[in-house]
Amino acid sequence: MKSLQIAATGMAAQQLRVDVISNNIANMSTAAYRPRVAEFSDLMYQQYLTPGTLTSQVGTTVPAGIQIGTGVRPSTVSMEITQGSLRQTNSELDLAIDGAGFFEVTLPSGESAYTRDGKFNRSVDGQMVTMDGYPLADGITIPDNAQKITISRDGEVVAYFADGQAGQSIGTLSLTRFVNEKGLEALGDNLFRATEASGTPSQVVPGTEGAGYIRQGFLEDSGVDVVKEISDLIEAQRGYELNSKVITASDEMLAATTRLR
Amino acid sequence: MSNAVYAALTRQQGLMDEMQVVANNLANSSTTGYKSDRAVFAEFLANTGEDGGLSMGGLAGHAFELQQGALKLTGGQFDLAIQGDGYFTVQTPQGPRLTRAGHFQLSGDGTLVDAMGNSVMGVGGSPITIPPEISSVTISADGILSSGPDQFGQIGVVTPNGDLLRDSNTYFSAPDGYTDISDPSIVQGALEQSNVSPVLEMARMIDVQRAYEAGQTVLEREDSRIGQLISAVRE
Repeated sequence: MKSLQIAATGMAAQQLRVDVISNNIANMSTAAYRPRVAEFSDLMYQQYLTPGTLTSQVGTTVPAGIQIGTGVRPSTVSMEITQGSLRQTNSELDLAIDGAGFFEVTLPSGESAYTRDGKFNRSVDGQMVTMDGYPLADGITIPDNAQKITISRDGEVVAYFADGQAGQSIGTLSLTRFVNEKGLEALGDNLFRATEASGTPSQVVPGTEGAGYIRQGFLEDSGVDVVKEISDLIEAQRGYELNSKVITASDEMLAATTRLR
Repeated sequence: MSNAVYAALTRQQGLMDEMQVVANNLANSSTTGYKSDRAVFAEFLANTGEDGGLSMGGLAGHAFELQQGALKLTGGQFDLAIQGDGYFTVQTPQGPRLTRAGHFQLSGDGTLVDAMGNSVMGVGGSPITIPPEISSVTISADGILSSGPDQFGQIGVVTPNGDLLRDSNTYFSAPDGYTDISDPSIVQGALEQSNVSPVLEMARMIDVQRAYEAGQTVLEREDSRIGQLISAVRE
């Protein structure tokens, strides 16, 4: 009775969908989170009778044949590339990207990671760091006596030391672009790592090559659309139930068979 | 065994196969671009010697419904659906395959690929590459990819010349080749959902299950009839 296993693959697929949806909903308030979406594809087909098989000597062939499917499998869980709405925070080290770029941060291992979460802080030694304390790869160090920091749309960081005095440039932020953002490997903590599939990271000036401008005093909200997630959840739940009904029906058919003797 | 048992058995076997088809359809009710399956039964005659023939039923063929699934708006830049007839073509290691599942993305080197990483073929069979500095691509209804004044090729939409063969991953193969459609209608930012109708599948499932139980009853009756015959002969 293969229908039992086939329905089980269907239930597993819907279960995965619910897992992905629940993670999206859990991250509905995570800064710059991008919702994931599960995609499925059918499994291979058993060829009972291949279409095109000869049925006579005069050359007539089977038009459709018999190919029976064996279920479903997840093909990808991909990131939806959406721009979350920008929320004003008025904190001078809160940065949002209005486009497709990423900030580059340096992990403790020395590796580079990429993030769109622009909630930065000043570390003890004045470095601009993420919430986890990882420094920005651009290496911006804010002098102790700086009163105010402004970051321009194209990434120039200017420090002001006293009222009425002209500011002093202390560095420039760059953004990183990827050919295929969906190919990035999620590391958790809003961080991503470049992979073979994402393409090599290319550093660009903010505002060029689609990387988007930097907005100071804003944070990017989560891109999760809760209404859409809930309607997907309903769909997944009903899909799960439908597949479980197939299992029940197959089971009853088997029971009918065993009742024979 | 009597012929009635054989006739009933072919029916039971066919119903088992049909149950598999129903299970596969329901398992793929969320598969992008999936086309639902139908089992086709046919009668065949078995020669039973002097008595003439005995009619049996069996799975003879299988057809998929090519009816279009609902389009679901996703907003994805490379999520494409075909409105009306036609298929996208992808270059797999096994040769070109046709598909209605337009869940595409760019590979690391900027080539348009599907979820399996196989490149999507443009008109004429060449892959499509988007330069890395381009961030926003518009795809017109006839498949031309552009960003501002720049064009990067045209996605091919084809129609098969002969029958389609099912492959996994919502791929179809066209053994007799295929030809380009001149005026396709591609929708950007949408995916074609599975065309499985849960209501229809549930109705068929109940149908199959009850028919199977009825078949078992025939077998049981036949069994007890032979049993009675044997005991009558013995006396």
